[in-house]
Amino acid sequence: TNSAKNVAKIAAGAVVCVESEIRGEVTIGARTVVHPKARIIAEAGPIVIGEGNLIEEQALIINSYPENIAPDSEGVEPKTMTIGINNVFEVGCMSQALKIGDNNVIESKADLGRNMILTSGCIIGACCQVNTCEVIPENTVIFGSGCQRRVQTERPQPQTLQLDFLMKILPNYHHMKKTVKTTSAVTPAKN
Amino acid sequence: MASLLQPDRVLYLVHGEKKIRSPLSTLYFCRYCSELRSLECVSHEVDSHYCPSCLENMPSAEAKLKKNRCANCFDCPCCMHTLSTRATNIPAPLPDDPSKTTMKKAYYLACGFCRWTSRDVGMADKSVASGGWQEPDNPHTQRINKLIEYYQQLAQREKLERDRKKLARRRPYMPLAFSQHTIHVVEKYGLGTRLQRQRPGAPITSLAGLSLKEGEDQKEINIEPAQALDEVEPLPEDCYTRPINLPEVTSLRQRLLQPDFQPAGASQLHPKHKHLLIKRSLRCRKCEHNLSKPEFNPTSIKFKIQLVAVSYIPEVRIMSIPNLRFQKECQVLLTLTNPVENITHVTLVGCEEGDPEDINSTAKVMVPTKELVLAGKDAAADYDELAEPQDFQDDPDVVAFRKSNKIGFFIKVVPQREEDGDVTVSFKIRHDFRNLAAPIRPSEEGDAPTEAIWLTHHVELSLGPIIA
Repeated sequence: TNSAKNVAKIAAGAVVCVESEIRGEVTIGARTVVHPKARIIAEAGPIVIGEGNLIEEQALIINSYPENIAPDSEGVEPKTMTIGINNVFEVGCMSQALKIGDNNVIESKADLGRNMILTSGCIIGACCQVNTCEVIPENTVIFGSGCQRRVQTERPQPQTLQLDFLMKILPNYHHMKKTVKTTSAVTPAKN
Repeated sequence: MASLLQPDRVLYLVHGEKKIRSPLSTLYFCRYCSELRSLECVSHEVDSHYCPSCLENMPSAEAKLKKNRCANCFDCPCCMHTLSTRATNIPAPLPDDPSKTTMKKAYYLACGFCRWTSRDVGMADKSVASGGWQEPDNPHTQRINKLIEYYQQLAQREKLERDRKKLARRRPYMPLAFSQHTIHVVEKYGLGTRLQRQRPGAPITSLAGLSLKEGEDQKEINIEPAQALDEVEPLPEDCYTRPINLPEVTSLRQRLLQPDFQPAGASQLHPKHKHLLIKRSLRCRKCEHNLSKPEFNPTSIKFKIQLVAVSYIPEVRIMSIPNLRFQKECQVLLTLTNPVENITHVTLVGCEEGDPEDINSTAKVMVPTKELVLAGKDAAADYDELAEPQDFQDDPDVVAFRKSNKIGFFIKVVPQREEDGDVTVSFKIRHDFRNLAAPIRPSEEGDAPTEAIWLTHHVELSLGPIIA
């Protein structure tokens, strides 16, 4: 039903501010922090976000229709966007990638296209627009104005300290969206 | 329209060895010669060395010893950004009791831009925050040093012989010992003074000043010539079949920034110490006065001496341009700003036919014939509400507006060429300049201490394309 689709399923333990805009069928895992003014929009299909993610202000995670398909055309199956655990979406980034693994960092004002697949440990640098149709190998760093790439030897550390701090401080200053008590939180399988 | 304020729209001509046209903001004004100077007609001298990231000053001798590199700061070998030191806690066994472990701090270098860390090339974490990092040694250092010593000695010998010949020709009666002494004295001060400015094509005199104090015996240094080898290492067998691991291949820039090793693999890229920057002072070549002398402190952006052209010469700027049409008269609005505190009188003169300086203009220009008067720059004008507006009686056909030390005036432009490209006009601007630097001569008649001299500058304006 439509009403069930428009309510976000926020697992217990997630901290989602009321000022964030969540539209469509969105599932958010435990220990994820969504800052005010973040936008998670599931237009063309549901979005499933795992645990321990950090989505900062003005970040935009959008499951939108591809450019050449009109919203109302038939035969378009809704594709689910899956986001793994321990990812960081920094301020002002935009992500349309359908599949994001674990421990990735998408830096400020980065722009991810729909056909990208991030594995784990990838870092998309600030202001990098990456719109190719490929699977980014593990531990890749994309940086610079020319989107240079290199491979780092270790994955970026999960931001546990920052997450703990925010989960304590944000409720002091913002109202939170209601969490849904589910028996098992929905987490995407690790690849 | 911000593009009208771009600096390269209005160019002033500098008379030097080369005729240079450049915006007023890049020029200097020698008030002793009363002429404009550009960067190419002044001599540049190094004032001080400093590191751009830790802003530490370094005397020139120390900089030369450290090959112009900072001791504390490193550059990322991957993206050339400055590396920062990060600390982690690692468990380490206590020295007294090996079974217990405490958290010790370990430091590593990391780049904030490309996320390179010193662990990527296998450099172990250090226990001290700074000073623990070493650059790898060049295996050829010894050979290179020996070659440098040999050539230094050779240059010294050549220089002595040349000077001896020169002195022997001029003054045959001067004793040889005395002439050698003067040579050494001159050498001690090295390059940088007027006497020893490097002439292009001269032999390697720069090395000659470096070593060997007076009276030291010149040791004979012999070097072995380099030996040619017959056999070369063969290529590995899988050279053509092995797939390339692209992230591991270094780019040319990364490779050439480390000329000692030039590694082909990214796992051999070690960080290098950061290159120092210099503060330079400029000196007029004709009168040898300083035109620009920065402060010694690297954190200070001020100047001890700053004789820039914008603080002495009235500046012409374009304010608005109508649609330019081929062979139709258009009226362009320009502004003229007076940078000095006294009233300046400016006359504009169009370029005559066959003017050798007028090579770029593509349009005819009619400048106002009357003299324009610019009020002095009054720093307190914004705050002084009771100031009486000065009455200059401007001709409204010529002067569009007047605001403290700035006026707007009209010129008429008739584009002469229909081609693509910008319409360029040029004219001469003649203004009076009071030289405050000249020594005040005691005059019998009680004249004003500063007399005005008239300076003329050739100005070129780029007005944009013709709109059909």
